[in-house]
Amino acid sequence: MVTLDEIAGTGLLQKPSDTPTASLERPESNYKSLGNFSLPNDRQYKQQFADIYFLRLTKIRPAVEEVATVAWQDTILGGETATKVDRVLDVRQGQLCWVVGTVYMEMPLKPSVLEDVSKDRWISAPITTDHYYDGVGAESIMLEDDSGRVPLVGSVLKDYFLVTGCIIAVMGTENSDGQFEVIDLKFADLPPQPDRWSLSKAPKRPKVKDEDVEMADSSRPQPSKKIAIVSGLEFSGTDTSYAMELNLLLEFLLGEALDPAAQAELSQISRLIIAGNSIAKPSEHDPATDKKVLKKYGYDSSSYNPLPSQLLDTFLSSLLPTLPITLLPGAQDPANVSYPQQPIHPAIFPNARTYTATPGASEQPGWFDSVTNPWEGEVEGWRVLGTGGQNLDDICKYVDSEDRLGMMEAMCRWRCSAPTAPDTLWSYPFQDDEPFVMKDCPHLYFVGCQPEFGTKIIESPQGQMVRLVLIPSFAATKEIVLIDTETLDVSKVKITA
Amino acid sequence: MDSYNKFLAENVLTEDKVITYRVLSQALRVHVNTAKQMLYEFHRNQNAKRPGAVHATYLVYGTKKATNPPSESQDGADGDIEMSSSAMEVDSLSEVVPESVLSLVPEEQLKDTLADYEEVTSIHVYSIAPHPTKDMALLVDAANQVLTLTTSEDVKNTVPITNPWVRRRERQGAALRAAAAAAVVKPQAKPAFSNVKEESKPTQHVQEAASKPSTSGPTKKPAPSSKRGGNSGIMQAFSKAATKPTKIKKEAEATTPSGEDSSMQPLSDDGEDDEELPQPKPRAGSGFKTKRQREEDLRRMMEEDDEEEEAQEKEETPEEEPMEEEEPPAPEPVKEEEAEVVTASTDGRRRGKRRIMRKKQIMDDQGYLVTIQEPGWESFSEDEAPPPTKPKITSAAPSQAAKPKKAGPKGQGNIMAFFSKK
Repeated sequence: MVTLDEIAGTGLLQKPSDTPTASLERPESNYKSLGNFSLPNDRQYKQQFADIYFLRLTKIRPAVEEVATVAWQDTILGGETATKVDRVLDVRQGQLCWVVGTVYMEMPLKPSVLEDVSKDRWISAPITTDHYYDGVGAESIMLEDDSGRVPLVGSVLKDYFLVTGCIIAVMGTENSDGQFEVIDLKFADLPPQPDRWSLSKAPKRPKVKDEDVEMADSSRPQPSKKIAIVSGLEFSGTDTSYAMELNLLLEFLLGEALDPAAQAELSQISRLIIAGNSIAKPSEHDPATDKKVLKKYGYDSSSYNPLPSQLLDTFLSSLLPTLPITLLPGAQDPANVSYPQQPIHPAIFPNARTYTATPGASEQPGWFDSVTNPWEGEVEGWRVLGTGGQNLDDICKYVDSEDRLGMMEAMCRWRCSAPTAPDTLWSYPFQDDEPFVMKDCPHLYFVGCQPEFGTKIIESPQGQMVRLVLIPSFAATKEIVLIDTETLDVSKVKITA
Repeated sequence: MDSYNKFLAENVLTEDKVITYRVLSQALRVHVNTAKQMLYEFHRNQNAKRPGAVHATYLVYGTKKATNPPSESQDGADGDIEMSSSAMEVDSLSEVVPESVLSLVPEEQLKDTLADYEEVTSIHVYSIAPHPTKDMALLVDAANQVLTLTTSEDVKNTVPITNPWVRRRERQGAALRAAAAAAVVKPQAKPAFSNVKEESKPTQHVQEAASKPSTSGPTKKPAPSSKRGGNSGIMQAFSKAATKPTKIKKEAEATTPSGEDSSMQPLSDDGEDDEELPQPKPRAGSGFKTKRQREEDLRRMMEEDDEEEEAQEKEETPEEEPMEEEEPPAPEPVKEEEAEVVTASTDGRRRGKRRIMRKKQIMDDQGYLVTIQEPGWESFSEDEAPPPTKPKITSAAPSQAAKPKKAGPKGQGNIMAFFSKK
């Protein structure tokens, strides 16, 4: 409860004074972009998608086997010892065994390419059904590897999130119907986590940072740096209902709003990450899109509205003089649809692009870094993995649950940041590498464009800790997320106008 | 110091404008925090004189009282749940994190809004207006005035936070392009300099930062390159032109479109420069003599018509122009190695125009179908740098440019005259 009388005549609510205002400087942002998800320029789309599954299975299988071996090595059930079976096809009826494979979900509402081909239907945009499950349990779960497939049954399956493409180990027996009755189930769990500052050099600092977690309010010489993460700015050419909030966000990040004390706090924001959907979807009832105009030279100035990208460019170029920005594309952004989305081309931003890295061989990341989605990098020494949200949204369609943090956790434990690619999440047909496999465990994993904010920390028996953050869509919630770069503590700021 | 009272009185009271602190700060070149105090003081003074004269909106920042339904007991201002407790929860609930709220409120609602706050860290006047603000979205336009006012200079004095680490790309391409285009008019790289300076003004550290990682700073690079691209190119062009006085130049009209689509001369939109645009020398690979001869014949033949048609010619010329694309003046032989104009080469990427030969069938004045090789320009942009070709920008001497200009349309016009006479 604050009353007007308490605050009147203080701070900025007084006569202008001649006292010079101290100039604040932002700290340097230690930043490295890994580029794990950048595609070659000469992309081939002739390959089969199946290779992705084989590559993923080969990469994750050893870890799953290790976990499973430890868990089930001497398991004896009904006088029978569980034995390891190498291939799914080698499972014998009645034999207690365990096997590693890729999950495949057969779901009634899931788009199926076989169906499309058989009906001679060629789609050009991803189908956007809300969910693939039908609620009556008509879906079936199967385990497959390069040898074959076996249907999985058992109540234990209901205790876990399972989606197409995740690698699991199951223990049980094959029943007379040829189904595998699952008694227990294991994942690879969190991958090994690199130390902080494993890629970039730590700035010299006398303090030892061992007590990272507990040092919340201990004596710090100066406030630690923060990174701001926002998603779903959705600059729009038609909808101005949140334009004022965007304006306030700009002034907030610039540090022009608020009073000197708060500005000092804001000056500690050393980087802004925009996690997708910076540009709004063209509205359905846009008059320009209604009528079919014969296009000449592919550009129709009456139906194309350049305003959204202009607004975004203005926003970016106002911030860039004082704040480095990392820009991830999202589902609505002008980038390719299929995962991994490649960076939004800086040519869209005539003003902001002067801050990008020089094309060609430049070892320094750009001050304005347009990156891939998903993106992996090192910020202030922490390994950061972030996506624009499509991977999580697609998993949500498999699972009848709103526990998005739980699904994020599951992705980490599966060691796969986009398990449903290429089945339902469109993806590039990788041949030699499967970049969605998490080789290193991130310290911070954020997913953008989510309906609401959420965060938690997950741990593994080996001691890895991951901070999971759901970044809400700004256009809907007007919230941005600030992350402390020393403690990885999360706070959020809500803007109302 | 009191100029703000005048400014605000003029804009708010007289002109009915909404003035935000950023607009005031930009207009008067004062620090944003001072501008906020000015707004407050003006608002107080005016309302003391006449209540309700001006209306303010306030920006309030702080923590709100917990009003969320799923709030637990410990979510206060700094109610961070222990990690262990959240990790143990079966249903992976989100942690409760500190939340700050930034709200923009009109003064009428300020009291109610403040009552919702647990703690206000910062409050100031955001804008003042002659009328109460009903819809905050209307403030957008007022706030956006800043964009038109903002200039790159003096920003440092008005914004509270600067970043010494900022670095921009060295825009070699742009600088070179600008310099090259400017150098045609004035063989001085001055525009390039001022350009670069302006870019690097926002903070003084920019220049340091920019020049540190690279071998040569942005201020150095454009100068020599522009000299090479513009200056010597012109000189060469003149000397070349002097040695070959009989060469017939291609019209400026023919080159301008191709120059535009490769966006080679961004500054040449205004009419002045067009005369001095880099002009290619049209030359054909083969059929040198016959073409020349025929052209000479043609001209001689048409010479007699000139006197009569001189009056018409001015009217005819505009409508003749489309025809020119179909039948350009007979081209002259070309040397292969001069077939490129590189406008920009930024590390490993060259852009420019390249001369190519296109085959074209035309009906000549005697009614025969003739296939000629027509020189054309094709913009290109390629990766690897080939053996350094001299960026060659040829420029027509005014006297020479004038002559073919006449000759070209005449040749065309005469065809029409030829038919019309019969």
